[in-house]
Amino acid sequence: MHEFSIALEIVDTLEENGYLNGVKKVNSVKLGIGKYSGIDKNYLGFAFQNLNDERFKDVLLEFIPNDSDEIKIKEILVD
Amino acid sequence: MLNSNRVNRGSAGGSAGRGGRSLTVQRNALESNEVIAKKNKAIFGRAFVMNFLSSPGSGKTSLLESIAPVLKSEGLRAAVIEGDVETDLDKQRIDNLGIPAYQIITNGTCHLDAKMVNGSLGNLDIKDADVIFIENVGNLVCPTSFNLGEDMKVVVLSITEGDDKPLKYPAAFYKSKVMVINKMDLLPVLDSDIAKIKENALSINKDLIIFETSCKKKPDGGVGNKGIEDLVSFIKEKVKLKAEEFRKIGGNMYF
Repeated sequence: MHEFSIALEIVDTLEENGYLNGVKKVNSVKLGIGKYSGIDKNYLGFAFQNLNDERFKDVLLEFIPNDSDEIKIKEILVD
Repeated sequence: MLNSNRVNRGSAGGSAGRGGRSLTVQRNALESNEVIAKKNKAIFGRAFVMNFLSSPGSGKTSLLESIAPVLKSEGLRAAVIEGDVETDLDKQRIDNLGIPAYQIITNGTCHLDAKMVNGSLGNLDIKDADVIFIENVGNLVCPTSFNLGEDMKVVVLSITEGDDKPLKYPAAFYKSKVMVINKMDLLPVLDSDIAKIKENALSINKDLIIFETSCKKKPDGGVGNKGIEDLVSFIKEKVKLKAEEFRKIGGNMYF
């Protein structure tokens, strides 16, 4: 169940790079997820819903699959 | 309960019905882990670092007990970072070899990450280490996502686990440079198909370097067998290459 750690890493990466400055709500996160990334899509969605971070409470995750091992944040929609 | 309605299962579709400001990010989701992994790599210095992944019970600790003393007897200094959900039982086994070891107890977390390893480095004497072994938490899925600053991941698969494991858990085999097929001594009493294990693993990662090992002790207490000897030779060569590379650039390779 490392998806909780991945979800926290995603929030950290967005936070540390200023993408969440002044953001009240994150509506969606578009992710590039490689088939060798070891990520279970359902568990990652579950992790976001249970992060205890109101900004991500109703976030929709979109997955762009590929053949790599990457976990890449491509785009976010925010209010 | 999982709310799978919220998850778009692999569709490349847009954010239909979702308003708001669009921000292009294009960043590695594990960027913060990568930053600490780079720091770890710098701290590891000239030591060659191997991150061992496997399911529980495949024999990672036994493998370290088999190879570390041979390396030590040949003048190489090893250190071990152990990762487990609970207990320091594995560290105790390494302590018995007279090799520096530190136990990370994750308290339920299913993998090591770069921060946990970074936190261990102040408690482990690696100053003169030639090789550092990181034994990750027994789990073929979660540890694959996290770079710890290692030089290579090594996946250990015991022959009792079945030949389909590489296909069921491809990330571990895709991300590793070495696969160790362990418990080969059990082959006479099992129907394991070693050729199939290799075929499946190589179908995921055609560059995997494969060793076949047994850690069963002989009456004299040693475990010497060709697989262990080959693995030790491989590690010695990698230690030498890493030290040469490190020396060439004056020890500043990762800063």
